[in-house]
Amino acid sequence: MIRDDRAFAVMEYAGGALTAAATAAAIHAVIDPHWDMVLAMVVGTAIGAAIHILAAVALGPFVGMFPAMASGSLIGMYGGMLFAMRDSMQDVSWSQSLGVAVVFGVCVVAVVQLYDRALRGTSIVEGGSAGRP
Amino acid sequence: MRELLQRKWDRASRTYDWVTRADERRYGPAKRQLFERIRGRCLMLAAGTGNDFRLFPAGLRIVALDVSRAMLERARPRAAAYAGGLALLQMDARRLAFRDACFDTIVSVCTFCSVPDPVLGLRELHRVLKPDGRLLVFEHVRSRLGPLAMMQDLLTPLSRRFGPDLNRDTLGNLSRAGFRVVREENVYLDIVKAAEAVPLAAWLTSASWRCSSARL
Repeated sequence: MIRDDRAFAVMEYAGGALTAAATAAAIHAVIDPHWDMVLAMVVGTAIGAAIHILAAVALGPFVGMFPAMASGSLIGMYGGMLFAMRDSMQDVSWSQSLGVAVVFGVCVVAVVQLYDRALRGTSIVEGGSAGRP
Repeated sequence: MRELLQRKWDRASRTYDWVTRADERRYGPAKRQLFERIRGRCLMLAAGTGNDFRLFPAGLRIVALDVSRAMLERARPRAAAYAGGLALLQMDARRLAFRDACFDTIVSVCTFCSVPDPVLGLRELHRVLKPDGRLLVFEHVRSRLGPLAMMQDLLTPLSRRFGPDLNRDTLGNLSRAGFRVVREENVYLDIVKAAEAVPLAAWLTSASWRCSSARL
């Protein structure tokens, strides 16, 4: 059980890093500093949202559908918007783009995991069979 | 409508075990804990391919339903391996062929994310559940966290074509169908939940209602 939890946590981090890297790569390939920033952000969000759906389908059988979608949606939509904003403002290298994306993906997964721990547990117990075996 | 639903889940049965393999491992312990509360004659909805049968305590008498014949075919060997009585039936949760008040416990695992009229289905469960019975649900629901809820809303038109809705308010629907949620547990974020509900009439006559009133 504990081994499973750790394995899932590690796979979630790897999945988050992959989703972010794929999002950043797609955006880096499409958007360059000549783009209008607002348009770039809208397109980046759309690209990120599309990539997160593909990532959720691919990663779901390994980490669980909702963990893949929860982190993936935040990485795809918000990461996509931020990566596009950055790419429309400055010329960055592929390695910088992917490196920053991996860090962003790992940070988002960490926040989602912390939030999950904070929320986990029983929130209502009112009669029922609580306390009974 | 029922044929469309049936066809969708017949198709999904081919990949169901693969798609849900991590979810089964991840949520298995929480489901096992929920199933420990099963008492008496039990009805299980949405048996699927029977992945959850191994999590039931041994020795129960269970009637397990699914709208999809293909799902039930895959569930058959797992039902045979269960150490108790487990009968499989093809039936729609909105039209149950059982008399009133004949089950002590009803178990619903990821059912009301895909039943087209969830409140109607839950009212049907209310009808077949004994007045002192309990409904145990393990469902995914719409998050209360804005960005996640928005993602669920956006993806639901797509997910509905292949499987469940992602943004149902199943615990709210329980109240609309005449149940009172007496226990609620977050299993993953506030999206995957395990809950226990009782008929509202039974709750109103219970000690917990009197305690709640005294606190007001």
